[in-house]
Amino acid sequence: MILTFLIFGLPVGSSFRLIAEGAFSDKIAISRTLVAMTPMLLTGIGMTFAWRAGMYNIGGEGQFICGGLAGAALFQAVPSAPSWLLLLATCIGGMLIAVFAGWLQIKRGVPLVISTILLNFIALQFLDWACAGPLKDPVGGVPLSKRLPETSMLLRFDRQTDLHSGTVYALVIAALAYIFLFLTPEGFRIRLVGQNTRVARSNRMKPNQIQLGAMAISGALCGLAGGIEYVGISGQIGTSFSQNWGFLAIPVALLGSLHPLGVIASALYFGALFAGCNNLARYSSAQNSIIYIMQAVAVLIVVALGQWSRQRETKVHNE
Amino acid sequence: MATLRVRDVSKSFGVTRALRSISLDFQPGEVHAVLGENGAGKSTLMNILGGLIAPDGGEILLDEKAVRINSPRDARNLGIEMVHQHFMLVPNFTVAENLALSQAANLEPVLNAQKVAEPLLGAAKALSWEFDPEAKVAELTVGVQQRLEITKCLVSSCRILILDEPTASLSGAEITELFGVIRNLKSGGITVIIIAHKLREILTIADRASVLRQGDFIGTVEIANTTENELARMMLGTSEPPNQQNSRQEFGEIAVSWSGHQVRRGEILGIGGVDGNGQVELAEMLAGITNPPSDLQLPKNVAYIPQDRQLDGLALSMSVNDNLLVTSSLLDGRFVSPVQAQKAATQLIEKFQIKVNSSEDMAGSLSGGNQQKIVVARNLMQTPDLLVTVNPTRGLDFNAAKFVHDQFREAAANGAAVILISTDRDELALLADRTLYLARGILKATMEDAIG
Repeated sequence: MILTFLIFGLPVGSSFRLIAEGAFSDKIAISRTLVAMTPMLLTGIGMTFAWRAGMYNIGGEGQFICGGLAGAALFQAVPSAPSWLLLLATCIGGMLIAVFAGWLQIKRGVPLVISTILLNFIALQFLDWACAGPLKDPVGGVPLSKRLPETSMLLRFDRQTDLHSGTVYALVIAALAYIFLFLTPEGFRIRLVGQNTRVARSNRMKPNQIQLGAMAISGALCGLAGGIEYVGISGQIGTSFSQNWGFLAIPVALLGSLHPLGVIASALYFGALFAGCNNLARYSSAQNSIIYIMQAVAVLIVVALGQWSRQRETKVHNE
Repeated sequence: MATLRVRDVSKSFGVTRALRSISLDFQPGEVHAVLGENGAGKSTLMNILGGLIAPDGGEILLDEKAVRINSPRDARNLGIEMVHQHFMLVPNFTVAENLALSQAANLEPVLNAQKVAEPLLGAAKALSWEFDPEAKVAELTVGVQQRLEITKCLVSSCRILILDEPTASLSGAEITELFGVIRNLKSGGITVIIIAHKLREILTIADRASVLRQGDFIGTVEIANTTENELARMMLGTSEPPNQQNSRQEFGEIAVSWSGHQVRRGEILGIGGVDGNGQVELAEMLAGITNPPSDLQLPKNVAYIPQDRQLDGLALSMSVNDNLLVTSSLLDGRFVSPVQAQKAATQLIEKFQIKVNSSEDMAGSLSGGNQQKIVVARNLMQTPDLLVTVNPTRGLDFNAAKFVHDQFREAAANGAAVILISTDRDELALLADRTLYLARGILKATMEDAIG
């Protein structure tokens, strides 16, 4: 991290201070952290479901976008749709594309990693087209969809900040995800299939169905993340609707050890980094790209530290 | 010609003492069996000779000179070659590439696998083994893969060949063939050290046998002057005869029937035959996993113990708790309470004497016998109407195999119809009330029918 600052010619001490201030210093900073955490928490939980089932879903971004698109399309068709209905539509949007990728793997042998990556690109192009075409707000000149009326948006807690009830929903969903994965038979089957499909099969479970189900949940959560971003923050979708939230889901989920409670912590960490580095970019000579570089460096540090302590542990264990 | 002497070799893993001051000699040009139960220290000793594990103390003498074997490369330089119990082959490589890989120390920058493999293939040919150098290893049968493993060791420098359980996954005919090759190697002056579980096999092939028990050296005997019972007594430390036949009672109603075959409650039907004749397919059909034929009548509660506990039986990186939960009725409810799951697991661990430090241990960290006990335990806990199993004791030591067999007898006594599909004729003779034989997917009345 220090090295990164030096490379960019930034003063080390004050850079750290700017990051910390941007993430935690006051009400506004904390709300920025939580607002950035929310989509990553949902997509991270989404990844957790798929990966736990042995479905290596790389398509969080595409599912996120499809969620937002489905919500915006519903709003276009039914302008009076309440926010819960919009969110439901976003779940379905994300779910459909994820289940399609799962189906391609299970029934047609297309590796999920490849199909989900490619579907990300398709979703991105589709977003560009939709925002400039059918979903475009006829009033403005920019490729953005029509803005949701205030009544369709999620509740804001405070006029000064962007913090909205979606953050609470995301935390509740993370807790429910924990209960589902670790305390219900279905969750057990998902984890079992992910560890060894053949054991599930030889005990007369249906691995394909279980894996498709996990993909459906995964896609729905990524879609919902897009939905909450749409209904909670932006109120409209444009070509830069997702700030890589679906891609970041993978490191978030892995850093959280594919455990919903761990994912809460890692999403919070990423959220704080995002808000903090934004602050750094705003008040120093650094460009915006420093945000992503710092994120990457911070993740590598955490992973390396984890690996290092594990190695020490096994060493002690062996002695 | 080389004499290999092991002197006072010890090895501990943490608090477990795997070997306690072992001393034994391997004479030039003999077939020397190393016997012992799982955990007796055989594999540890072999891994020390192969340079994979460093001993804590003691020394190894080769031709009366003390040698240090710090790596498999050292072992190879001394003329010691080792075939591991689990194949060390790359499935996606060809035969030639796998052979070249075993010569990795002498490879040129531009690999011509064929050329590197040439001398090894030649040596194999001398043993009347022919390979297609271009065949992918994944497509070879287990028996041919075993030959390939041995071929990797046929370098001209090889003086001592260690075979760790070479017969574990071979059929009867393949074992006979392997033993022929071992005799050939022996007449070429190579010392063959062999680990095997089945005493009968040892009696046919070995010249001498050394017995280890729980890390202690018990003794070395001449095979010509010993008996199966004596070896068993040395291994187990008791004079109990290896197995007793249970007296059988009357059988109950028909539990399962298909294409003219039927098995009654309390009956153990053995199904023999050479591996690869449809054993797994038959088992999965009877266990209700694959598309059943229309005339298959299955009872309600069918237990299935698959052939490969590591591939089909266990999720190795999940806990013992989780693995025992797989068939549990706890999965029928809305929620699974970890407390109840743990309690149920603890009961099974106690009842089936599964050796674990904690039920949170990963299944993969247990020994083969204890792994199989998990699969057996979770299948027999809810008194099944039908138990289907394929080679359930493959690779298990005597006590673990006996335990599994006893469980099957008990299940039958409790009213289960048992279908034991096994390529091990001894196992069938021991357990089955009657035996059918599989040949190319069809059940025959006798082994002769199946072969002919």
